[in-house]
Amino acid sequence: MFAYVVRRLFIGVILLIVMSLVTFLLFFLMPQDPARVACGKNCSIAQIKQTEKALGYDKPALTQWTDFLQGVVVGREYPEDKSLREKAPELISDCAAPCLGYSRVNQVTVSEEIKEAFPVSASLAVLAFIMWIVGGILFGVIAAVTKGTVVDRGIVAISLVFYAFPTFFIGLFLLKFIAIKWGWVDVPSYTTIAEGGVGGWLSNLFLPALTLALFFMAGYVRMTRAFVLESMTEDYIRTARAKGLKRGPVLFKHTMRAALTPLVTMAGLDFAGLLGGAIITESVFNFNGLGKLAVDANVSYDLPTLIGLVVLLGSFVIVANIIVDVLYAVIDPRVRVG
Amino acid sequence: MVKYRKRLFAATAAIALATTLAACGGGSDSDGSSNPGSSDPGADSKAGGTLYYYIYAPYEHVDPQRTYVGVELTNFRRTIYRSLVAFPISEDPEVANTPVPDLATDTGTKNEDATQWSFTIKDGVKWEDGQPITCEDFKYGASRVFATDVITGGPNYILSYLDVPTDKSTGLPIYTGPYNSTPEGQAAFDKAITCDGNTITYKFNKPWPDFGLAVASLSMMDPYRKDKDKGAKSNYQMFSNGPYRIEGSMWNKNKGATFVRNENYDASTDSTDIRMALPDKIEFNVGQTTETIYDQLIQDSGDAQYAVTSQRVPPAYYSQIVGDAEARSVLVPSPYVDYLVPNFRRLTEPAVREALKVATNAEGWITAGGGEKAYAPAESIVNPAVIGYQDNPAFSGPQAGDPEAAKKLLEDAGVQMPYPIKFTYPQSDTADKQAAALKETWDQAGFDVTLDPLGDTYYDVVQQPDKTSDVMWAGWGSDWPSAITVTPPLFDSRPNLTANSDGQDYGAYKSDEFNALVDEAANAADVDAQTAALQKADEVLGKDVAYIPLEIAQFFFLHGSKVTGYVNTPASSMYPDLGPIGVEQ
Repeated sequence: MFAYVVRRLFIGVILLIVMSLVTFLLFFLMPQDPARVACGKNCSIAQIKQTEKALGYDKPALTQWTDFLQGVVVGREYPEDKSLREKAPELISDCAAPCLGYSRVNQVTVSEEIKEAFPVSASLAVLAFIMWIVGGILFGVIAAVTKGTVVDRGIVAISLVFYAFPTFFIGLFLLKFIAIKWGWVDVPSYTTIAEGGVGGWLSNLFLPALTLALFFMAGYVRMTRAFVLESMTEDYIRTARAKGLKRGPVLFKHTMRAALTPLVTMAGLDFAGLLGGAIITESVFNFNGLGKLAVDANVSYDLPTLIGLVVLLGSFVIVANIIVDVLYAVIDPRVRVG
Repeated sequence: MVKYRKRLFAATAAIALATTLAACGGGSDSDGSSNPGSSDPGADSKAGGTLYYYIYAPYEHVDPQRTYVGVELTNFRRTIYRSLVAFPISEDPEVANTPVPDLATDTGTKNEDATQWSFTIKDGVKWEDGQPITCEDFKYGASRVFATDVITGGPNYILSYLDVPTDKSTGLPIYTGPYNSTPEGQAAFDKAITCDGNTITYKFNKPWPDFGLAVASLSMMDPYRKDKDKGAKSNYQMFSNGPYRIEGSMWNKNKGATFVRNENYDASTDSTDIRMALPDKIEFNVGQTTETIYDQLIQDSGDAQYAVTSQRVPPAYYSQIVGDAEARSVLVPSPYVDYLVPNFRRLTEPAVREALKVATNAEGWITAGGGEKAYAPAESIVNPAVIGYQDNPAFSGPQAGDPEAAKKLLEDAGVQMPYPIKFTYPQSDTADKQAAALKETWDQAGFDVTLDPLGDTYYDVVQQPDKTSDVMWAGWGSDWPSAITVTPPLFDSRPNLTANSDGQDYGAYKSDEFNALVDEAANAADVDAQTAALQKADEVLGKDVAYIPLEIAQFFFLHGSKVTGYVNTPASSMYPDLGPIGVEQ
């Protein structure tokens, strides 16, 4: 098992290096010139060249990529200008290892940007995860045990509606009616626990988390219902009922244990993906998480931030995959890794 | 034509009246506070309270030497950053375009040929930490513009005007800013800007008769404290010399900031013609979508009652601006003009360009783009708010396009018909509909139009000398209210056209007659002579069909019911002018 994990981690690191290279190359293959955009109006060619230097895009792409890798290992300083370091050291920004880069657009290290945005995305992901897991499983089980009834059909129909609606629609709808028109809650604005206490943190997260949760919940309702129904037809369930076990213990002790195993695996992967930011929900509610950071970086041609996010989000997915693979072996002893 | 001009005047007057009435409706009647739209905005407003300012897109810079967007300049000019001179609060363009003293004792004195300007700084003006604002602070502020590898994105006119020699190898001035310049560069800069006590003198290598207008419009010449400068790291730092200071010291790009009263601001050194500083606090809230902003403003509850925004009402919300909301809305012309650019490398035949102009259905473009709440007709590339504006005779008259007349022009020219042309424009759902409206009359006139919508690559493509576009969309607004910042930057071939780029002269227009008039304007020692040359230059552009005006974008805004003194002025680039705006208590 240990050797397997080490091997997977090693492959993961290689994958991250390749991903960063591909992102660099794609960025410099774009027809847009970020220096021209950043230079503003009325810029001469010479001034655009200067801006290119200021943005750090004046070196060949491959050199910039190797500089980036070097920064991850040993750290860097920005700008890398020895004469400026001597004459005006206050202008230099140090970026300690593992340095993911320095955003010239926002004038901070990428690590600082991520440090600020990650708690927003993580808070949103955690609350949404709790909502959708609890709601998804609860309504899924209710639908399964009331199969064919109005309740079942109602739950399935409503979940289909939420699954079909785009997240931005649900978000804008909740924002417009619940927060603005009816005034049931304030217009959400991310507040840390330190700033607003647990109550403030939760109340501001409620609508965006609900937006995310409704979408995922709809899928989990349908999957839970299907898995539970499938398990209920298994021979051992029939045997348990034939032996005189009551419906409740059969459902909770035998049916759900089997039905929920694949859901746990899926939930883990969905949660890991969400940690990387919910682009649409964060944009609709103006939550400055990793998803919105990625959108803004894309709009402003902020390569260092894009690279940093690609590496971070790639890491999440790689680590989540390794955990899931290992969990498979733990949950089902018939599965052997390696 | 006379009838049309009368109709246009009547329409303009009606819009102005409607705007005034709409703005009047925004005034509060509960405590006798202001009557926005009156000749004395904010006169009856009271100090106190919190004003909320809703912004959608993050500001790229708040450093005075890097700020270059109209709304950002005006918001900060009225609150945090003072300059030598400033534009007063007025809806009358003539008054609004005449600078008044701000940190300087007067509007400056120039020498005979306008190559040297001097200003004396008022006594008693201070930074937010109580230290006096000195001549050296102004000089240091100007020096930062020269650090083009650190202080990027801002207006850089001073690089070509200030009397500092150019380094032939780089094409840039030999002075490279305060951070790492050579001693020769520093000496040249020290000669070009001198301090004598509280008097600062700027020496230029060519006349700059409208320097005062530039200083009042842009913050590139604002003072900056050397000990506060961290180069690029100062991008979101704000150090005030105005009536407000920022809570903390940094503007949060994604959230905004709160401005509170600056204890070291002395109102006696300022004028209420420039800023009344009524709210105790101004909260800038960045990042809500335009739809969310307008849902709140239409609902008019909570903080939104005390809010203004720089976002325009989205067309999908036009139908909701009725009743009370309509009374809180304003419709004013923006400082921007959109226009078409024929590509002179491809449309070499003057008759073809003329036919294109004659067939252009600007009215259809406006209708498809949202109608009168989105656009007003334009008769020049120069905005009517600019000093010395005059209709360009080449574009006066009906703007629905005359395909028959255009067809005759093409036939008379003996060109192959249908004449193939490609129209390149930045893609959006609205722009697609507008382009279709243009295509219809162009096709009827004998052109065979291919629509070429582009995404983010738009400007990179239209600047390429070997582009295959025949006609392109573009938009522009003046940097200060003079045509010298409109037609020369867009059509002077000398700085624009190089082997690798057409710069901002997308149509590769090249005219000795036009360039000579630009030189005449650039060398004029007074604004009147400069304006006269630029008016002639615009006529040359019209005669050559170097551009075809499409429209003036309209600003359609809504504000909260408890906002007082609300007004949009030329000084605020027609965004909400924070000079007189207050809130009900």
